[in-house]
Amino acid sequence: MKQLKFAEIFGDYLRDESRQIGTAESILFSKTEEEIVKSIIDNNKKNIHITTQGARTGLAASAVPNGGHIINLSRMNKVLGARYDKENDRFFLRVQPGVLLIEVRKYLANKSFIINDWDEESKRALKYMDPGEWFYSTDPTETSASIGGMVACNASGAKSFKYGSTRDHIESIRIVLSDGDILSLKRGEVYANDGKFELKTEKNNIIKGILPNYTIPNVKKNTAGYYCKPNMDLIDLFIGSDGTLGVISEIEIELNRTQAVNWGLTMFMPDEDKALDLVRALRGEKVIEDFPTINIKPSAIELFNHNALNMLREQQKINPAFALIQEVKESYHTGIYIEIEGDSNEEVWSKVQKIGNVMMEIGGDESSTWVAKTPIYLEKLHAFRHACPECVNMKIDEIKKTDPRITKLGTDMSVPNERLKDVMHMYNDDLKDKGLKSVIFGHIGDNHLHVNIIPRNIEEYNIGKKLYEVWAEKIASMGGAVSAEHGVGKLKIPFLQKMYNEEELNEMRKLKKIFDPKQLLNRGTIFPYIEGEAGIL
Amino acid sequence: MKIIVCIKQVPGTNEVKMDPVTNTIIRENIESIINPFDTYAIEEAVRIKENMGAEVIGLSMGIPAAEEILREAISLGIDKGFLLSDRKFAGADTLATSYTLSLGVKKIKDFDLIICGKQASDGDTAQVGPSLAKTLGIAYVTDISKIIEINENNIRCMKITDDGYEEILLTLPALITVVKEINMPRLPSIKRMKIAQDSQVEILTFNDVEADENRLGLKGSPTQVRKTFIPIHNINNEMIEGSEKAEKLASILLGKIRRS
Repeated sequence: MKQLKFAEIFGDYLRDESRQIGTAESILFSKTEEEIVKSIIDNNKKNIHITTQGARTGLAASAVPNGGHIINLSRMNKVLGARYDKENDRFFLRVQPGVLLIEVRKYLANKSFIINDWDEESKRALKYMDPGEWFYSTDPTETSASIGGMVACNASGAKSFKYGSTRDHIESIRIVLSDGDILSLKRGEVYANDGKFELKTEKNNIIKGILPNYTIPNVKKNTAGYYCKPNMDLIDLFIGSDGTLGVISEIEIELNRTQAVNWGLTMFMPDEDKALDLVRALRGEKVIEDFPTINIKPSAIELFNHNALNMLREQQKINPAFALIQEVKESYHTGIYIEIEGDSNEEVWSKVQKIGNVMMEIGGDESSTWVAKTPIYLEKLHAFRHACPECVNMKIDEIKKTDPRITKLGTDMSVPNERLKDVMHMYNDDLKDKGLKSVIFGHIGDNHLHVNIIPRNIEEYNIGKKLYEVWAEKIASMGGAVSAEHGVGKLKIPFLQKMYNEEELNEMRKLKKIFDPKQLLNRGTIFPYIEGEAGIL
Repeated sequence: MKIIVCIKQVPGTNEVKMDPVTNTIIRENIESIINPFDTYAIEEAVRIKENMGAEVIGLSMGIPAAEEILREAISLGIDKGFLLSDRKFAGADTLATSYTLSLGVKKIKDFDLIICGKQASDGDTAQVGPSLAKTLGIAYVTDISKIIEINENNIRCMKITDDGYEEILLTLPALITVVKEINMPRLPSIKRMKIAQDSQVEILTFNDVEADENRLGLKGSPTQVRKTFIPIHNINNEMIEGSEKAEKLASILLGKIRRS
């Protein structure tokens, strides 16, 4: 009988959405925290390194193993309980790391939790919840992401403009460390003191250390390297650490009250500069003299550049799947998509009219807008939004057939508010200079865009790859972050090296070694693994 | 050219509640939407208007609140809305509904084309369109997936059938019902929503139309709904766990199937 190789049985678990393919020798689909602990202790004894996986939807290859053992958390997919803080009107869910975002949304929308194993407090808390009354605000486009994965890379999404990233809604976590001991951290309980920290594990071991001294970028969205501030809440150190400090075994997420009304609005502007002015106006910045600023905070502000709209138009003609999206007229140059929440349709309609007035003042046209005031209409706008990355993926898959070395080249960098136009000019000028085909879309409200280069051949692919490193350096000098929501993983290590100097990167390594002296966890993520380095402090 | 689009307000949910006494749908306190098929009818009419110039009029029958649905249709591009609303119209089946709609059409007058959605998402009968054409004595075709050509005198269109397509030429005035393959309805713009906000929907009551009272509402409805209910599915799952061999598991299963 033929002996099947690991890769033949578990091939799917050697890759993630980054489309990188790794290797591994063994895999555990853990169902409990105890199983994680046991697996880590066993492998630690044998010096076998471990890659942690959630739903493998990441784009930076964090979940792609490079040999060793895999702990896959996809079967730890239960909601374990709920908690309602009546005094402060806050609602929390305690979840296992493998539960998917789409499942959490479904449970909340229908109040359809499986509560057989819940404790009494959790069951009581549910009395304070109606179907759809609460929602989890972090909304990466990929809804099949796991909550654990989202914590690991501090994911965000369109609505992060109003609600912040994953970090802002994590109340507590449990982390299994590289020796099998456990840290249980609750927000507001343990802080660093002037860069020094001290943590107590469940086995009463004390972990002491000094935090890296670098200054993290002053941008709203950042997941490039460890999050460090001199007097930080230490739970934040583990959020966005790409699974390099421990394996997350339990998470308590905070929910938000659902607003009664949520409208979507797409506005098509006649050129990009006017579109950027509209974005600034929507953020409340003064754009036009003698015209009042808008005091309306949208929950999301997204951009689709001219090439993105062209690509969509092109696909609409040939692909029946995209025919379901409303016709994008030739006169539409750049699209700005926003979502606006409120207590009533009347209130939101009045906001939309105010925004319309400012848009016209900037040079837009009220006829060139799409308003979605019902969930059915909103679905159409979401379909439009999702169509852009889908089109890019299809294009890349097509090109990949001619040369398998070509993979997706998509950026994930953010800059401070005042550098919005600079960064856009940088992208446009450099792409034009190199003669590369590209589309740009993304979370412009937070100055966080996904530039996707569509290489026509391997030469262009290599030029694009180099350009990304150039951009990483320029973004870092603008005070930006080289990864805003995808994490550093394995793919963005060269970019992180542009953002922090050697000394600062060494501080990060030292921090990792405090928690993981043998460098067993997610080896090769955030920084390259150097042979023989394990154990050296 | 004058085009009439028939528009029905339907519950914006799949969880329809029924009145146990009258066996009709409870429409109060449920958010209403334009019947999805009718949005394709609206879009097609608006496209004809944009291509060759036309006046597009929306016609609906329903409770006074249905005015909002017509206003929404104005935001989607139609020019004007007429709502047939009167207690005497209430409780109508498809026959009485199409008769009532025909009164509205006669009131609007001088139309060239009537476009209806294929069917409504709440009743699913697909009868009102054809029945309205019959009442008015005009030609009709159902399930249109494409208008190939339209001019002042006739319309050439494609009907989707089980086996393929039929190309049909109709002399105007005529009625067509459309399927969702025909177009992709647009979303309203801020501009159109402002126009809709300032528009008046004309209400037509019993006194405004020349009606035979015996053909209206419950009185004019030969369809008697004896009982309506939402089917309840009882699915009980039982997990059979253990390390029994396949044959043993199979015999357990077989035993269960026989017992049930």
